This record gives sequence, structure tokens and C-alpha cells, in this order.
Amino acid sequence: MSSAARRRLVRDFRRLQSDPPSGVTAAPLDSNILVWQAVIFGPDDTPWEGGTFKLELSFTEDYPNKAPSVRFVTRIFHPNIYNDGQICLDILQNQWSPIYDISAILTSIQSLLSDPNPASPANSEASRLYCENRREYNRRVREVVEQSWLDEEDTTPAAAPAP
Amino acid sequence: MSLKVTIKRWNAVARWTWGDHVDGDVCGICQMPFEGCPPGVKFPGDGAPVVWGKCAHAFHLQCISQWLTSKNSCPICRREWEFESSQGGPPVSFFLLFQPTTHSFR
Ligand SMILES: [Zn+2]
Ligand SMILES: [Zn+2]
Repeated sequence: MSSAARRRLVRDFRRLQSDPPSGVTAAPLDSNILVWQAVIFGPDDTPWEGGTFKLELSFTEDYPNKAPSVRFVTRIFHPNIYNDGQICLDILQNQWSPIYDISAILTSIQSLLSDPNPASPANSEASRLYCENRREYNRRVREVVEQSWLDEEDTTPAAAPAP
Repeated sequence: MSLKVTIKRWNAVARWTWGDHVDGDVCGICQMPFEGCPPGVKFPGDGAPVVWGKCAHAFHLQCISQWLTSKNSCPICRREWEFESSQGGPPVSFFLLFQPTTHSFR
């Protein structure tokens, strides 16, 4: 028997295949449709350009009434992303709506990359540099972009242990 | 020269919808057609009614009810959810398609 959450995830997957959003891909694990791996490509014409950032999404049986938990597996330097990869984004927290699907989640995260919200910092250093020293901020971003290519070959997660 | 076609037999197929007020014909929550079954419902139709909010957004009754247990807002416009009381929205429309058996159609 497939649950409501699983049926919805199958719809999401079909939609991703038939109407793929640009710059993001995602697929569930073969063994568990509640766990998805995704890749967000850094948006063009931004310091993130060329980056390939891996994420993991875990859903519960309450999806779509509850947001999935989403984290970057690739190391990221960004004002709204914690060192352990957790993302501070309103639509994944109090602004969640059950009409969102996986494409909507991933495209929102993709636009967060190039359009951070320094008012709710998750990484204080990234936030400070973003506001005060954009040149240094962009350099740090380019570092994680280059690091993301190395992660391609090395499959071990680059995320730091949670504090 | 004229071609004469005789229809020997036809099947009448009734199609129904919940009316034409329904955005994209898919419930935004379960992403299933309004005429289909939301999760947990075996047969479309009365078992899976579509309901409207005062904001004119529509969902399967089962789907919006589940959501309202976590937040009392419309999933689309985020306004406070209030059921549109006038008999559950626009009238149901029916139409008939006549389908000659010479066509294979499923
Ligand atoms: Zn529904
Ligand atoms: Zn609404």
C-alpha cells in the first residue's frame, strides 16, 4: 500500500521528469522514496556559477503537510546556510505550504544562493563578509565552488559534524 | 462521388467535472486531478468532494482538512481559510461524449 506522502512523491518525480526546472536535478533513493538526493547548479552570472552542490531531502509520512528536512551535503559558504548544511529558509519553516513540491523547494534554494537574506544569518562570518566585504565574500564562494568539483569524485559527505 | 458512413453502434460516455472554476484541474495539495481520488479515497466523485474557500481556491475536502489541522490558512494565498458556504462552490457540470466504436479509445 502506498501512503499519501509516497503517492505525492511519485507525482513530484513525474513532474520533475516531464517539466524539469533549469539548474536542479533530484531523484529518490532506490531503496527509500522518502529520501532524495538532489543537485543544484550554481546560477549563471553569479559567483556560484559552475558549482555543483549536492543536497539531501528527507520526507516524512506527513508530506506535503509538513516540509521535508533539507540540507546541503556539499560544503557551502553562505549567510543562510549553517556549517552542517542546514538551510535557514522561510518556506522550509514557518512559510511552508502543502502546494510546494520538490521542484519548488529546489528552485527556491537555488535562488537563495545568489540572493541571500542577511537579516537571518545562519553563518555569521558569511553574513558579515556579504555585507561588509563583497570581494572577499565572492572569493570564499569561489572556493566552495571549486571544492564542489572535487566532491564529485569523492563521495564522502563534506559536511562538518553538527556543533 | 460521395462517401456514405453508417454508424452501426455507438457507446455513450459520460464525463463529469466539478465545474470550470477549478485551477488547472489539479488539487494543489495532492497534485491529483479534481476528478480523481485524493489519497485514501477509492472512488472519484462523492467520495472525494472538492471544496472552495472564501478566497475561491479549491482543494479536495480530504486534502484541505488535513492541512487545516496544522495551519488555518489557504495553501495558495495564505489568507485565513474559511469554507465557501454556498453548497460547496460552482455547480457540477456534466457533458456527454458520443463515441463511435470504430475508434479505439480508452
Ligand atoms: Zn487533493
Ligand atoms: Zn486562497
